[in-house]
This record gives sequence, C-alpha cells and structure tokens, in this order.
Amino acid sequence: MKIIRQIGIIFTVCWLSILVEKALPFSFPASVIGMILLFICLLTGVLKIEHIQEKADFLLENMAFFFVPAGVSIINYFDVLKSAWLQLVAVCVISTVVTFAVTAWSVKLTVRLLSRLRERRTGNE
Amino acid sequence: MNEIFASPYFGVSLSVIAFGIGVKLNQKFKTPFCNPLIIAIVLVSAVLLIFRIPYESYNKGGEIINMFLAPATACLAVAVYTKLQILKQYWFPILIGCAAGSAASMGSVYLLCRMFGLDESLTVSLLPKSVTTPIAVSIAEPAGGMVPITVVAVIFTGILGGIFAPLLIRLFRVSDPVAAGLAIGASSHAVGTSKAIELGEIEGAMSGLAIGICGIITVLFSMAVL
Repeated sequence: MKIIRQIGIIFTVCWLSILVEKALPFSFPASVIGMILLFICLLTGVLKIEHIQEKADFLLENMAFFFVPAGVSIINYFDVLKSAWLQLVAVCVISTVVTFAVTAWSVKLTVRLLSRLRERRTGNE
Repeated sequence: MNEIFASPYFGVSLSVIAFGIGVKLNQKFKTPFCNPLIIAIVLVSAVLLIFRIPYESYNKGGEIINMFLAPATACLAVAVYTKLQILKQYWFPILIGCAAGSAASMGSVYLLCRMFGLDESLTVSLLPKSVTTPIAVSIAEPAGGMVPITVVAVIFTGILGGIFAPLLIRLFRVSDPVAAGLAIGASSHAVGTSKAIELGEIEGAMSGLAIGICGIITVLFSMAVL
C-alpha cells in the first residue's frame, strides 16, 4: 500500500501540473511545473519527504530506462543522422567544452567577488 | 504474426531486457562509453530492424514507459530538496553559474548550428541538449524539434562530460570544488554527475543541484527565444 500511495501522490502532482499548464497564459512544460509544484509542497510541508522517498528514488535511479522508447524512435530518423552526423557530433563536443568553461569561470569570478566584498566590509568596521 | 508484437507487453519486455543487458555491460566495463541507455537503444533498434517489426507495434509498450517520464522529472525536485542546506549556503554562485552555463550552452549550440548550416528543426532539437533528458525533450518537442535527435544528443553530451570532466578541470585550472561540480552538472547533467560524485562530495552535490536548476533556467531562456 505504501508504494501505491506514493505512486498516487506523484501522479496526482503530475495531473495537477497539467491543469496548471492549461491555465497558464504562456506555454511552459508540464513536467517542469510538476517539479516546481513538488518542490513547493516539500518546502511548505504539505508533503513530507517520507511520503514519496521510495517512489522518487525508484524513478530517479531508473530515469534512463524511461527514455528507451524515445531513443528507439531514432530508427525513423536515420536519413537525418546520415546527412548530418558529423555536424551533430561537432556541435555537441564544442558546446560541451564551452559550457563547462563558462560555468566554471563565472562561478570562480562570483566567489572571488563575494570574498572581496566581505573583506571590504570587515575592513570598514 | 504482427499481432504478437502489437501487444504492449512486447515493447515493455523488450525494453526491460535490453536495458538490463546495458546495465550488466556497464557494470562489467565501467566506462562511460557503455552507457546502459545507448546499449538499450541500439539493441531494441536492432531487434526491430532484423525481425522487421514496425516501430508502431513496439511503441504500444513504449507509450506505457513514456508515461513515467513526467513523474520522473517531477522527482528531480526531491533531488534538489535533499540538498537544501548546501543550496542555501551557496545560492548566489549556484544561480550565477547555472544561468551563465545555460546561456553559454544555448548560445554556442545556436551559433555552431548556423555555422554548420543545420536547419531550423535540427537546431531546435539540439538547443536544450545540456539539460537532463525529460526537460530537454519538453523544450524541443513543442518547438518543432525531433525528439529522438534531442535524446541522443543529450546522452552523447552527458557521456562526453563523464569522460572529459577530469581533463577539463585540469585544462581550465578549476581548483574550487563548487565551480567544478556546477560546471559538470551544467554541461553534462546526470551522466556527468555520476562522475562528479566520484570526484568528491561537494562536486557531486553541486552537479546534482545544477541539473534541476539549469533545467528550469533553460526553460525560461527558451521561452524568451523560441
């Protein structure tokens, strides 16, 4: 019964997020609304982590499995891959390196700025 | 003959078996190249092509598996919630890092696609490729992207991050574990995060946080541009 209740809670959150998606004046993915809804429920204490822990762990640990069918539909797109695979690989490799570098440097810069601000504040006192 | 394969049980069973083999191989060889999802996709595709089973028959079961995607995405909230303490402590660098990383990812993908002359629908498919698969798909699909191209690009990006993260940390001289973890999570989501966990506790936690936060930021950015 525990697992059924946990499935029920998470599926209800997903269904509510579809309601929210329909009600919003702009388009926003329902699955991300579900994530925000669940986060708010946990923060406000409407849901306790124990209410959903096992089911959440099950879904998170097996996340990759749920993408098997979506990935398999690649067999309908072989012609696209054949004509552009080199460009696709290049885009992935270059942009991954760029994203890594920009994130690391911007965090480094932010941390340095914060500590300099803190130093100045303690210096003024 | 075809009605045997048109039962939803067929698609689900085939997917589970293929993924099970992928997990086994991954445990045995312990290299990011042996990604269980990639192995499962290749195995299922091979079975469908060899036995001439229509994708539509397989997808009867596939649709049932797809139903779990939204709940799995929602559960990313649990992953963020369990790291609330560390999020409160570093919220400013996390926010800046994830925003900069998401912008860099989408910007570089857009420019590269233009440079290589890729068409609109391929560009849209690749645009969210640095965020975790469910969020990437929910951005690419309504914008006219090709879902399987997005899925494959996202996994490939994750594998790249998993393999090259230690090298990139040395190359860009990232000594701060907060910066290293966020960079791994922002550039290569969950697959990279499993590498970040090996590097250290802070790296792993930061990388895990970056998955959810970069996901939301990328959705917001894509609403502005798509």
